[in-house]
Amino acid sequence: MTPPRASAAMDRTYRRMLWPASLAVGIFAIAPLLGMLALSFTDFHLVRGWSGKIGIHNFLRLFEDRRFVSSIYIMMALSAFGVLAQVVLGTAIAVGLDKIVGKWRVARGIFVVPFAVPHVAVALIWLSLFTPTLSPINAVFAVFGIEVPALLTTQTGAITAIVIADTWATYPFVMLIVLAALQGISPDLDEAAALDGATRVKAFFRITLPLLYPTLLMVALFRFIETLKHFPLIFVMTSGGPGRATQATNYYAYVQTFQNSNVAYGASIAVFLFLFAAAISFYIAKANARLSDA
Amino acid sequence: MRDTSTAFRVKKALGYAMMLAFLGFSLLPVVWVVLLSLRPATALFEPIWESPAAWTLDNIRSIARSDFPAALLNSFITAGSSTLLALLVGVPGAFALSKRRASNKFFASWLLLLLRMAPPVGFVIPLFLVYVRAGLIDTYAGLIFAYTSLTLPFVVWSMWTSFNQIPDELVEAGLMDGASLGRVLWRIVIPAARPGLVAAGVLSFLLAWNDFFFSLIITRSDTTTAPVAVMNFVSYASVDWGAIAVASIALTLPIVPIIVLANKYIVQSLGGAVKG
Repeated sequence: MTPPRASAAMDRTYRRMLWPASLAVGIFAIAPLLGMLALSFTDFHLVRGWSGKIGIHNFLRLFEDRRFVSSIYIMMALSAFGVLAQVVLGTAIAVGLDKIVGKWRVARGIFVVPFAVPHVAVALIWLSLFTPTLSPINAVFAVFGIEVPALLTTQTGAITAIVIADTWATYPFVMLIVLAALQGISPDLDEAAALDGATRVKAFFRITLPLLYPTLLMVALFRFIETLKHFPLIFVMTSGGPGRATQATNYYAYVQTFQNSNVAYGASIAVFLFLFAAAISFYIAKANARLSDA
Repeated sequence: MRDTSTAFRVKKALGYAMMLAFLGFSLLPVVWVVLLSLRPATALFEPIWESPAAWTLDNIRSIARSDFPAALLNSFITAGSSTLLALLVGVPGAFALSKRRASNKFFASWLLLLLRMAPPVGFVIPLFLVYVRAGLIDTYAGLIFAYTSLTLPFVVWSMWTSFNQIPDELVEAGLMDGASLGRVLWRIVIPAARPGLVAAGVLSFLLAWNDFFFSLIITRSDTTTAPVAVMNFVSYASVDWGAIAVASIALTLPIVPIIVLANKYIVQSLGGAVKG
């Protein structure tokens, strides 16, 4: 235990350590967010400025705006399919790699490579692969007389393309975390299950998967938040198109703010996204607090 | 217990085939960019097997002559400065959050997570308006401040998790020996938390290095970072694929040694962060 005589002085030192961080977080992070909240109640326009109007008109407009509503569907499709693909693939590869020992462990390093590629480069690489005149995929299939459809010209195709590119770049993240979690699970459990006559597949679904569940849930939530923030992939690969088919909510906020100059309206879209993040981070923080109390 | 039945071997072979297929999925796009970077513009739109001898270093030369190297330098300066700033301010803060006896830590942890997860478009709109008035558009300071809104909450949150894994007794033992709290942090706690510190530093650098959105909005020509500068090779009329391939590689290469060296620490830290 800390000796009581020291605690008052120590608490002062702790607070001295805390205030630069608090001040910096306040200035760099909280102040802009408060600014966003304030703007969302005005009618500020990049060119026309502010008429002095204050109210909830932007939020009322949100739900009559068909483009906004459809942007939510697009965002949800990108997030749901993306997170699902990344978690399933990342877990499968992690389980496979976990069994591999010896010199083939190098394979782990190779699987991580796409994780190092910056998002813009990811977007450009996959844009090149989805450009029919350029793509080696199309060239290879053409040899067999098969014409690969141009993904980026339809809504379903363009969403699929973004999900593929996102999955390529981020499933190594899921894999790394699941691999770390698997290392914490005793191999004795698998052997015990095998002795009881359970098949490997059964042992995986009955024993390993439930033990991995908390990790998988956290990883999925983290990935979900990240997919809500998709920007470079959409900007580079589709520019929100074809038409407005891939304008997810975050991208739509950018379009309204910086292309249509509707700063206040863009801010209200950002507030909507922010509430989403607030709910999910609240859940994660609660789960973390429970875990560290236990 | 070695199962040698045919069924088992088939399953095992299928497993390996699947792993190989995904290895291909991960690696082939990388191989493709490397090939693309070495192809001359004249041979770009024909399959490689039709002109297997067409190789060139022109793409690399044209990137070297362009503004791209300067943009890479801008990326280094801004991502590096923002990470240093975040570590300098964030590490003592995280230490205090972890070891100080206080009741309302839940609010702090939620706030930090929330800031880490909040959509960048929310930060950027007010920043842009203030920057226009304050003359911070297209300046290093402006970009470094903007990046700090990403890196600082991340550093505080992940160092908090790392410091939680350091036993309180270690701090108390140091204090018993008469060292000040600052000295205990610097001499005992930081060395013990080195894996977490390396991971926080590396991931925070990557956070800023990867950024596209902030740089797109608040830089112009002087301080454009590399991810935005790549887009100069994409114009409405034509796309310079060779240059883009070289630039993509140049964007990735500095990250590879960092990830390889810090891989172990990153995994430990991510695992810890996710588990709480």
